[in-house]
Parts: sequence; C-alpha cells; structure tokens
Amino acid sequence: MNNCTDCINCNTCPSADKPMEEYIRRIPLETAHHRVEGQSTKCGFGLQGVCCRLCANGPCRITPESPRGICGANADTIVARNFLRAVAAGSGCYIHVVENTARQLKNTGLHKDKIRSEKALNHLAGLLGVTGKDKYDLCVKVADAVLSDLYRPEYEPMELVEKLAYSPRVKRWKELGIMPGGAKGEVFLNVVKTSTNLSSDPAEMLVSCLRLGISTGLYGLQLTNLLNDVVLGDPEIRTAPVGMNVIDPNYINILITGHQHSLFTYIQDRLLDDDVTAKAKAAGAKGFKLVGCTCVGQDLQLRGAHYTEIFDGHAGNNYISEAVLSCGAIDAVLSEFNCTLPGIEPICEKLKIKQICLDVVAKKANADLIPFHYETRQEDGDKIIDEIIEAYKSRRGQVPMNLFTEHGNKNTLTGISEGSLKAFLGGSWKPLIDLIASGKIKGLAGVVGCSSVAYGHDTLTAELTKELIAKDILVLTAGCSSGGLENIGMMTPEAAELAGPNLKAVCKELGIPPVLNFGPCLAIGRLEIVATEIARELGVDLPQLPLVISAAQWLEEQALADGSFALALGLPLHLGVPPFVTGSKLVTKILTEDMVGLTGGRVIIDPDGKSAANQLEAIIEEKRRALKI
Amino acid sequence: MERFIIIGAGAAGISAAKTLRILRPEDIITVISIDEKVHSRCMLHKYLSHERDAQRINFVDADFFERNDITHITCEAVTKIDTEAKTVFYGDNYSAPYDKLLIATGSGFFIPPIPHFREAPNVFGFRDLSDALKIDQAFAKGKRVFIVGSGLVGLDAASALCERGAEITIAEMAPRVMPLQTDDYAASIYQKAFEEHGCRFLLGIGASDAVTDKDGNITEVILSTGEHVPCDFIIMAAGVRPRIQLAQDSGIAVERAICTDEHLRTSAVDVYAAGDCTGLSGVWPDAVSQGEAAAENMAGIPTVYEKPYPFKNTSNFFGITMLSVGRLDLTEGAEILVHKTQSEYKKAIVKDGKLTGFLSLGDISNSGLYLYLIKNSIDISGKQNKIFRLSFADFYGINQKNGEFAYNI
Amino acid sequence: MKRIFIDPAKCDGCKNCSLACMESHRQDGGTGIYTLDLLDPRNQSRNRILSDGKGGYSPVFCRHCDIPDCAGACMSGALHKNMESGLVEYDAEKCAACYMCVMSCRYGVPAISPDRKHIIKCDFCAHLEEGPACVRACPKKAIEVREV
Repeated sequence: MNNCTDCINCNTCPSADKPMEEYIRRIPLETAHHRVEGQSTKCGFGLQGVCCRLCANGPCRITPESPRGICGANADTIVARNFLRAVAAGSGCYIHVVENTARQLKNTGLHKDKIRSEKALNHLAGLLGVTGKDKYDLCVKVADAVLSDLYRPEYEPMELVEKLAYSPRVKRWKELGIMPGGAKGEVFLNVVKTSTNLSSDPAEMLVSCLRLGISTGLYGLQLTNLLNDVVLGDPEIRTAPVGMNVIDPNYINILITGHQHSLFTYIQDRLLDDDVTAKAKAAGAKGFKLVGCTCVGQDLQLRGAHYTEIFDGHAGNNYISEAVLSCGAIDAVLSEFNCTLPGIEPICEKLKIKQICLDVVAKKANADLIPFHYETRQEDGDKIIDEIIEAYKSRRGQVPMNLFTEHGNKNTLTGISEGSLKAFLGGSWKPLIDLIASGKIKGLAGVVGCSSVAYGHDTLTAELTKELIAKDILVLTAGCSSGGLENIGMMTPEAAELAGPNLKAVCKELGIPPVLNFGPCLAIGRLEIVATEIARELGVDLPQLPLVISAAQWLEEQALADGSFALALGLPLHLGVPPFVTGSKLVTKILTEDMVGLTGGRVIIDPDGKSAANQLEAIIEEKRRALKI
Repeated sequence: MERFIIIGAGAAGISAAKTLRILRPEDIITVISIDEKVHSRCMLHKYLSHERDAQRINFVDADFFERNDITHITCEAVTKIDTEAKTVFYGDNYSAPYDKLLIATGSGFFIPPIPHFREAPNVFGFRDLSDALKIDQAFAKGKRVFIVGSGLVGLDAASALCERGAEITIAEMAPRVMPLQTDDYAASIYQKAFEEHGCRFLLGIGASDAVTDKDGNITEVILSTGEHVPCDFIIMAAGVRPRIQLAQDSGIAVERAICTDEHLRTSAVDVYAAGDCTGLSGVWPDAVSQGEAAAENMAGIPTVYEKPYPFKNTSNFFGITMLSVGRLDLTEGAEILVHKTQSEYKKAIVKDGKLTGFLSLGDISNSGLYLYLIKNSIDISGKQNKIFRLSFADFYGINQKNGEFAYNI
Repeated sequence: MKRIFIDPAKCDGCKNCSLACMESHRQDGGTGIYTLDLLDPRNQSRNRILSDGKGGYSPVFCRHCDIPDCAGACMSGALHKNMESGLVEYDAEKCAACYMCVMSCRYGVPAISPDRKHIIKCDFCAHLEEGPACVRACPKKAIEVREV
C-alpha cells in the first residue's frame, strides 16, 4: 500500500488543492505541510494570548491559580499588549513596503525612467492634490507627498488621510480621536507602548490598533497599489495560466517571493534584453522566465498584460513555495519581503537553487544579500543575472526534475482592480449596484489575506468561498487567498457552476467567475476603494454596505494590521482562528461586540466555513434590509 | 467454610466486612448492627441540617450487602458473647455461632456528672442517626439549643441547626473553640463565623446544674458562673467513651477501651476489635484501617496494626476549611513558624529538624504531605524556610516498577 | 489497571497537560481551547506541574494508588477504589466536603473546589473513550498510559 520510497512522511496537512496535496505528500523534501503534524500540539496559553515574556520575570501565564503575571498585569493587559505589538509590527511591514514603493516612484521621476501609466500618475496626483512641471516632476512630487507623511512624527497628523479616506469615515475617526500621525512614528510609539511595564490599558491599546489600521490601510495598502500602477502599469483584465503548469523547464526560471514589486522593476525588464537573453542561450536555456509566488507574484500576474514575455504565470501562494521549488526547474529565488518561508532554505540548499535577497528586512540565512539601490541597479542587476546563470549551469542535469505540468489551470481571470473593473462595467459602478439592489448579487464578500496550513492549506478559504457564492454573494479576493482559490479553479468562468442561481446567471451573462481576483494582499486596498466608491455613489457610509470581509486564514501580523483597517472602516471581519485574544474577556468583547458602537465594524470568529458563511450572509441580509433593498 | 461475624456497621465494621469479602470470597460474613441504616457519623450534621436524608448519609452503596453477599442483621443489639461456645446472642435471644468475631461497637457520647443531665429526657448525644432523629424531633418543639462542648461534634450540631434557625448557646470548658484542633487565632476565626451565624459561645465556662420541669426535662442550664440559660434541649458533645459494655459483660479484657494486641486481638480467642471501641484513635481513616487490619488477621493473614500517629483532623464550617495535624501545644524547645495573610493562616511546629505539628486554615488543597511528614518523622532540616510551600516536588520520587510515587528522602 | 507513567526528565513545564485537563473537565458546555476560561477557578487543573527547584519539573498526577490514602479516609463513600478498573473514583454527589482525603493523600493530589463543597481530582477522563486528555496533550511524551 505504501509505495512511496523516498517521501519524508505522509502525514501532510490537508489542502483545498487536492492534486497539490497529493504532490506534496510524495515529494522527497520536507515542507510546511509535513511540519504541521509535528507542531500540532499548540500551547494553550499562547493560543489565548496570555503568555507574557516581556521581561525576565516571565514567561508568565494566566491560570485560575495565577490570574496575574508577576508584574501584576492581568489577562486583559497581557492580551491587549501582545495584540497591539502584533498590529504595530504588521503595520511596520506595510509601511516599509509603501516607503520603498514611493522611493522607487521618486527615483523614476528623478532619473526620468520608464513610466508605464501616466493615467495612473495623473489620477493619483489628482487624488492627492499634487501638481508638477512634467510627468517626471509629478512623480517626484507625488512620492514626496507620501514620504513626508510617512516620516512625520506621530504627533503630527498625516495630511493625505483626508484626501484618501471617505469623508463619513474621517468624520467618525475624528470623533474617536484615531486620526493617525506619521505612519512610522505610530509604529514606533506603539512598540514603545507595549514594552515592559508601560501601557496597561487594554481599551487604549485597542484604540491604538485602529489608528495603526488606518495608516496601514490608506498608505501601506491603497497607496502602494496606486504608486505601483504608475511605474509598473495598470492592471488589465485577461485570463492567464496559474499553478505549477506555468513552469517551463526550458528557461532559466526565477521564483519571486515577497511584496515589493517595485524592487523588480529594473531586473524584470533587463532579463529581456538581447545581451542577457544571449547569455541564457549560451548557457543552454531559451531565456529567462519569472515564476510568480506569494503576493509579488500576484502583483505581477495582476499587471501581467504588460509582462507577457518575461512572466510565465503565478504558481501559487506562500505555502506552496516549497513544493514549487521541489519541481527542480526553478534555478533561483529572488526575494524581497515576507512570505518567503525559511522552509525553502534547506530545499534550495539541496536542489542548488540560488537564493538572492533584495531587501535586508527579508535576508534569508543562506541567501546572498544584494539590496536594491536605484543608483547601482544596473551593476547589481547584472551581478544577480550572472549568479543565476551560474546556478542554472551548475544545477541543471544534476538535480532531479519533478515537474507537475497538470497542476492548476490555463484560464484564470485576472487583472481586476478598482479601475479595470469599473471600466469593465462600462465606466460606472451602477451596473454592479443595480445587480446588488435587485438581489441578483446578494452582497459582496472580500475573502482576503493569507494562506495558512495549521488547520489545512486553504481549506477554510475554499470552503467559505464556495458557501458564499452558493448564497449568491460575489466574492472578491486579494492576497494568498487568491493564490489558493485560483489554483483550484474558482476564478475560471466555469466556476460559475458553483454559484447560486442568481449569481450564476450574472456570471454567465458577463462571462466572469463568481470569485474576482484583485491580486496581492496589498490589493485589499483596491477592494476597499471599490467599496468606498460604491458607498459614495449610494450616498451611504461603509458600514451600511452589504459587504463583509473575511481573512479566514489570516496568518501574519500584517493581516492583523489589515484587519484593524477593516474594523476602522466599520466592516464586519471574519477570522477563522482568533488572533490570540480570547484569554481576555474584555478584549474579546471589544473586538467582537463593542466595536460596532465605535466604528461599526466587528470581529467574527468562526473556524467552520458553512457556519461562517451563514453568519456573514445574515449580516449582509441585515444590511440589505436596513438599506431597504 | 468459616463464619465471620462483625458487630457494628460503622467505619471499622464496614471496612472489615469489605476486606473480608475480598480475602474470603466464599465464606459467611454477617454484620449485626443496632442501626437500621448504615450511616456515616461524620455526615450526621448533613442529616440534621436537612441537607441530606438518611439514604444520602450512607457511606456504602445501597446494595453493598447484597452485592457482597453479606448478611446484615439490623436494629439488633448484641447482648452477650459466649467466647467459649463462640456464639453471639442478640435481640430476643437469637444466637449465631462464629469462627472469628470482630467487635466494632464504636464509642458513645459521654454525659458528665452534672445534676439532672444524666436523667433528663431532653439531653441528647450526637453520635448516630438515632441521636439525630431525636434532636430533629425535639427541634420541632423548641429552637433554643444548649450545646455542651465545642469540639467537632458540638460544632457539627451547631452548624446544622443554626442553618435551620436555632438559637444556640455553646458552653466550652476550654478558653477557645475546638481546643484540640486549633490555636487561639484559628479558634477565633471559627468562633467569629459561628457567631455571625447566630451562635453564642460561653468559653471557659461549664454547666454546673439545671432547672427541670415536671417531666424532668431541663428548661434552664445553670452555668458555673451562676447564670441561667433557658433552653428547649441539650446536646452533649463533651467527649466520647469507647463502647465496652458488651465486651466487659462477656469477660473480655477492657480498661478504658477494649484491650487489643498488635494484631487487634482481644483477650478472647478469635475475637478481634477495631475502631473507636479500641480507644486507639477517634478518626475515620484510622477506624477504616483498623477494620482492614483486623479483617486481614481474621482471614489468617498476620497483619501488625501500628498505633495511629499523629492526631489529625480536618474541618469545614461555613466554607472555612482547616487541617490540623500533630501537636500544636507541645512547643517547648520547638520552633514555631507562622504564615498569616488575609485569607490564610498556617502554623508549623518544628522540633529537631522534624515537623511535629501543623495547622492550616484557608485553602488546604494539596497539603496532605504535612501529615506524611509528621507521621513518618521526616527530616526537613534545610527546608524550614519554605515550610509552608512544601509540596511533593520536594520529595519527588517514582517507583519505576508500578509507576506509583515514592517519597525520596 | 492503567496508570499514567511520568518521565519527569522529559517535562518542559509547558502545562499543556494542565490545559488539556481543564478543557476536558470544563463545565460550561463549551469546547476548544480558545473559549476555555483561564481565570475561572472552577476550571482548575487536576494535575499540577511543580518546579523541582533545579530547573526541571515534577509533574504530580493522581496515581490511583493501589492502596489509596484518600479513599481510606473518605467517610462519605464518595471516593472508592474500583477493583475492576483500578481507578480511585469520586462521586461528587456523595461527597460531604470533609476534606479528610485532602489531608490524607501523601502526594497532595486532591484539591478543594472553589465552592468548598467538593474536591477536584483526576478521573482518568472517564468520559473520553480515548483516555486521559493530558497524556494526548503532552508534546514531549513525558506522560503515557501503561498497564500495570
């Protein structure tokens, strides 16, 4: 029965992607899916967020016999502090991304480099109220406007908030006193707040999360997209192949992981230059290809219309990166941010895959660090290319191939953004609003965020999505949830068959799937722009929309910062597992109940796809009733 | 096939019966008891407070006798033992021959020689169910209760009746309540709790006389101070005496209690004694182990019963729990360590590196090791500074063979 | 009978066994660690992981002793050694809260319930077919059920 002779162990976690589950089970390398079993015993104190190791007296854990830590901190303080720390760290991640993105735009302007979308530039400049002498100057001005806000001290309010955010929200945020100061300063301040024996006020710390959420969402998410659109090109709706079938072993293949697409701008163009292609050919390959993985792959896929030659397609999300590498046809990993799992390191080692990091924040242990500097991009780029060619030469023929050409599909709909979708609808949101008002589309659900494996790879995301579309709820995705859902075909037009009768009819008429892929997690910001524009057209505030958000398989601290933005926007936010807060009744109550009175949002915890979908449907129906539709 | 007879169905009698049945699956076992129902005297207060009925103060399963194939002869007093003919006589001249006999008649309450007390029909003990029934009936007529003695028995009765709205006066000859188990501080805590529940204490005061009505019922207790305390009935809780009458009448050697050797044999051949009637101890666990040891000896397994040591007891009144082990009063040449917080009070008497007394008031959870330390005279030198935080971890050992714990000393 | 064997050298003091015990015996009808109230004294664990004072741990789990001090001391019949299963069983209905068992267990296992009306003691997770929850929760396999 057991005929796998060289697998690590067969106790891999379940995946929504059954062929992938089978593939992973058989590969002779250890992946996260294999490690789930060994980590299945979780620390209950950690799960509930009541383990505190902020000082040398700790770790302190809360039990009935010891309801306070040595310092006297109770469960509420410990939980809120741990949670705020996580949100602050997550915010820092996205703020780092937008900072680099703005710097890239600025350098593009300063050096009169290639601008792929002047339309996007003008749109953004208009939004921010920035003018310039020419398009290059405008790039500089737009970037400076963003950067100067990011670098403000936390006691100075950021200027672009009111320009980016929907006015009823701004009004509420001002009432709550949560208008953010300088985004980096906010992170700094809140990290200080959560250090040993500083803040002990759970309510204040949760309010701080909302403030961090706003700076994260408006800058880290929304602005990053809009800045990238200028340099990297506007998303265009098209179909594309997804999954491991995109890998062509005849090319020198570079797997890209991370979140900062702008750091690849130079190299992805350079790889197509004749001299570079000639080098590849000399080494025995047809040329170079980028293989997408994690959110930066999603972003490349989103804008894939501009990169058909260099970009083969998106292979999958963070938790299949190890599997993708095991196929043998990947020669290098270029990474610049998170979701680059440490687990890829032994695999790269074994399969002689070159690892190069472009940003010190994501320096992998056995990778070369060649940080992206605009000024030295040409020589650095050539060095990277040469290293990769060397890796290709030394490894091909030496390492076994384990391709998985039947994985994924060829016709996933991609390229959806606030702009491309609106254009698709004829330049107005009215057709979508009409469909919602008529009930053909019951409501919208953003199924966003990460992929996790501890309770199954994409299993909850997939189950929830299927349940939602069966209820005629149109699902919009962004993040690694997209990667999982597209590989199982949920974004192919055929997936319309899985939708409820009304949504199915709409999908068939428009030729779209019932799940619309906005791309990377950064594009949660795009989704929120869509929501804002619909709300504006209807003349209502965001919490009134029949819209719910689910970060069903949230994974990282970044997701908690994103989630805090959703709460600040007043949206119902579903999470599959609690964010390590249930050890505090107070914090749990604020997040799941009292938040409604503050922002209109609230957290819904439900690990079950069916019942979560029922809960979310009930919320949508309630909001429909309130809107009298 | 041997015939075993056990007189008494208390802790010792029942544990002997249980043990005998395990050791002798086929033999004939008979228990003769004066009580109709097996009951735990330690739970009489639950009956008196009406928290439980008679069935629920039974400490064995309802089908205990049936299931173990033990004959239970109830409501019959054994009148005589013919140790020559090896026969017991009970009730209206019934008789039963035995091969081995256990006397487990327990102890009875004691009425000091105070005028009228021994004769008055409204003076009750609080030792068994029949006592509790009598008190219950008396209480239906009058709620003014005078209790002589503030030991565990007296306070058990008081706590049961004050929950039912009694007006209680407790006279205690000693200067504090529960004098055997407490020190002054611990006593004050309990005293306060009882007073808050409506009890009145007369400490260092005894009853010296009484006023009676025409039926001989005591209507007023006259104290040693001369004060008159009106009452409807009296509960005697000023000590117990081993029940030795039967043994004595049967020619078995007795002193204050039935005399036993280390195998719990009496002076008569094949007659054993266990429990309170031996005077070896007055607490339940000791009676149980005496019953077990006697049963083993009766079944032909020679078992030496070691005289129980030390004094030990627990109490739980109004949710105030206390554990008291060893001698708290023997403090000469000893170190007295005290730990006192708002919710806890602990006291340890340490002599020559060994714990000799331990008192704990508050949450007494997980504190069984103190009894073990005292009982086994375990050297705790070097551990005095953490005497109140000792746990089994300080003596942790494992019997690798069967997985049980073992003291590592 | 079955007994939980302990290898203290393997114990890291993570208290997963304690949490598993609390979860297994919770009375609020809920399930899952996330909703287990860690502040409710009624949820206290039946096992205790004590420090050995030398950087290690001394896990104290009820031994269901061959000759149980606790059952011998019980004057209500609430505690008794089941000769078939070998377990020292506790019937809360019968318990009179005298705490003689607490005094008598030389290893300090029985604890007093917060309402001071019962005791809290290992029941070998009698309600679970798969056996004691603590054993399954131990990531170090420091505790295991063995036949003795």
